[in-house]
Amino acid sequence: MSNLVSIEGLTVTFTGRGKPVRAVDHVSLEVKKGSVLVLLGESGSGKSVTLRSLLRLHPEKTSKVEGRIVVDGHDIMALSKTEIGTVRGRTVSMIFQEPMLALDPVYTLGQQICEAILRHEDVTPEQAHARALALFEKVQIPSPERRLNAYPHEMSGGMRQRAMIALALACRPKVLLADEPTTALDATVQIQILLLLRALQRELGLSIIFVTHDIGVAVEIADKIAVMYAGRIVETGSVADIMHSPRHPYTRGLLASRVERAQKGDRLKTIPGSPPDLTALPPGCAFAPRCDMATQACHQQVPPLVTGDYDNAVACIHA
Amino acid sequence: MITTPHHSALDERDRGGPAQSLLSVNGLIKHFPVKSSGFFGRGGVVRAVDGVSFDIRKGETLGVVGESGCGKSTTARLLMHLIKPDQGEIIFDGEMVGIDLPLAEYRRQVQMVFQDSYASLNPRLTIEDSITFGPRIHGMAETAARAKAHDLLARVGLDPSRFAGRYPHELSGGQRQRVNIARALALDPRLLILDEAVSALDKSVEAQVLNLLQDLKADFGLTYIFISHDLNVVRFMVDRVMVMYLGTIAELGDGEAVFAAPSHPYTAALLASMPKMDPSDRTMEAPLTGDPPNPINPPSGCRFHPRCKLAEPACQTIVPPLTASASGTSQAACLVLVPQSGHSHAARVAMPEAHA
Repeated sequence: MSNLVSIEGLTVTFTGRGKPVRAVDHVSLEVKKGSVLVLLGESGSGKSVTLRSLLRLHPEKTSKVEGRIVVDGHDIMALSKTEIGTVRGRTVSMIFQEPMLALDPVYTLGQQICEAILRHEDVTPEQAHARALALFEKVQIPSPERRLNAYPHEMSGGMRQRAMIALALACRPKVLLADEPTTALDATVQIQILLLLRALQRELGLSIIFVTHDIGVAVEIADKIAVMYAGRIVETGSVADIMHSPRHPYTRGLLASRVERAQKGDRLKTIPGSPPDLTALPPGCAFAPRCDMATQACHQQVPPLVTGDYDNAVACIHA
Repeated sequence: MITTPHHSALDERDRGGPAQSLLSVNGLIKHFPVKSSGFFGRGGVVRAVDGVSFDIRKGETLGVVGESGCGKSTTARLLMHLIKPDQGEIIFDGEMVGIDLPLAEYRRQVQMVFQDSYASLNPRLTIEDSITFGPRIHGMAETAARAKAHDLLARVGLDPSRFAGRYPHELSGGQRQRVNIARALALDPRLLILDEAVSALDKSVEAQVLNLLQDLKADFGLTYIFISHDLNVVRFMVDRVMVMYLGTIAELGDGEAVFAAPSHPYTAALLASMPKMDPSDRTMEAPLTGDPPNPINPPSGCRFHPRCKLAEPACQTIVPPLTASASGTSQAACLVLVPQSGHSHAARVAMPEAHA
C-alpha cells in the first residue's frame, strides 16, 4: 500500500522568546492510505506540534520548521499561501480538543459547513446545504435539519464534537488530523466518538493521525502507534506490538505504571522523575536520566530509531 | 515504608470511636438559580445536588464517580462549606458542622486538593509561604510553621532546601500538586477531599502521586474522599464507591464489588464505556447513547430512564429509593431491586429481611 502521508526529518524549533525550544526533533513517519496512526505521548512530547506541522499551522515568524512533509503528492513546505489554503480542508483537515474554541460562535453550524464546501468546490448553496445535512446524518446527530441551524453554544459537548467532525469531513479530505478530540469528553461520550471515527474511517477510507496521551484511547482507535518523548519518536509499532511487547524502556514504564493492571492497595510501578525540560535536554537519550537501564553510552549520543523485523522501530541501544 | 500507628484509633480529636462515621451527610440539596434571560420570564434551577445522603467511615477512601454535571464537585464544595447547602446537614464525628462544631474548627480538620494545581496556588507566594499560610492563620508561631512546612515538603518528595523558596511557576505540574497536598496536610486534617487531584497530571507522574497519596494516608491516618472521572484510578484507590447521576446517588457500595458486579444499569454502562486496553477486544457498541442530560430539567421518575436499556413505564413515574442489592455489597437506586415496584424484572414479593 502506498503512503498517503510521509514525514522525513521534521524538526520544529520555536524561537518566540527566551531560549529556542526544539519541540520536535527529527521525526519521520509514514501513514498508509486508510490507516490510523496514533501519536502517543505526555505533555511536551511534541505530538501536537508534529500534527500541526502537517497543516503548516505554526506562526512563521516565531517558528522554524525543517524537514520534508508530503501529503498525497503535495510537498507541504513548498506550497504557496494560496496552495496551502487549498490543501487545508480539502486534502487534510483537523479536529481539535475543544470544539467550543474551534467553531465560530457567531455562525450556525450549517453556515460554517456550507462556507467550507463553497470555498473549495464549485457547487450551489443548495447543494452545499444538502451535503451539510447528509454530513450531520453521517455523524449521527439527532434531528439534523434543526441542528444545522443551531449555534455552537446551543449544543452539548458530544454534539459539538460530532459537528466539528462533520465540518472537517465537509470537503471529503483524505487525511483527518485529530488532536485529543475526546479528552474533554466524558468516558460515556468518548467511546461514542471513537466508534464514530472508526466507522467513518472504514467507510470513507480515511487516513487518521490521532494525538492522545491516553493509552486506552490509543488502543481503541489505532492501527499503528508512535510513542513520542521529548520531541522524538522513541518507538513505533502495531497496536498489538506496542501493547504486548513494548521494547523501549519508556513505553514499558508507561504500560507498567497503568492502574488498570494493579490490584487495589498495590504500589504502582512508576517512572522516576518528570518529563524533561525541552530547553535543556541532555546530550544523549532524553529518557536516560529517568531510565533504569541507562549506561554511559546512553548519555553521549541520541539513539537512532532502528527499524525491526516487521513494521516496528525503537530508539534505544539496549532494546 | 515507615508505618506509624493508625491515627484514628489514637487521635485525641476522635470523639465517637472507630465505629462512628467520620462524616455523615443527610439530605444534602443545592440548587443554583439560572439567570433568566429577562425576555422569556423565569429562569430555571440547576439541581446540582438533589438529596444526597452518605457516610464516610474513619480511615476509608470513598470514591465519587459520574459524568460531568452529576454533582460530584458541587458535593465536594458543599462538604468543604465553600458553598452553602440549601438544605441538609453535615455531621463531623458526631458534631453538627456550623452548630456544635464551629466552621473554622471544622475546616482545620477537612482539607481539599483541587484539579488545577496552578490555579490553586497564589502565584506571588513562595511554596513555603503557601504552606505556612494556613497554620499561621490558625495561630501557629512562624518558626514552628516553617519547620512544619519543611517537614511536609520532604514528606511529599520535594527537597525543602531546593523547593521552599520557589514560586509556583517554577515547578512542574506534578511538583505543584505535591505542594498542594503538602499545604492541605499543614493543618493536620483528618479528612482530605481530592477533587480530580491527579486528573491533570501526565500518566507517568500520576502513578507517582497515587503512590504518595497511599503512603500519606497510612502515615497520617487520613480518610479520603476521592473524586475522579477516571474509573480505573478510582477502582485502584477506593474502599467504597459512590456513583452519582444528575445530582442523586445511583449506587453506593463496596468498591471491588461494585466494579465486579454493578447493581445499577448506569454503573454498568459507565464501566463498559472505559477503553478496553486490549487491541483484540475493542469496544464494538457504545454502552450509552447521547450526552449526559441537563440537570436543569432532570427527567421524571428515575433520572436515568431515558438512557436506560431496562427502562419500563414504571421508571418514568416512580423515583427509585436506594435499595440493597441482591448480594448485599451495595445499594442502588433502581426499581429492579425494589420488590413489587412495578418493574417486570423486580422481585414479585418482598424479600425477607436479610439477617445481618
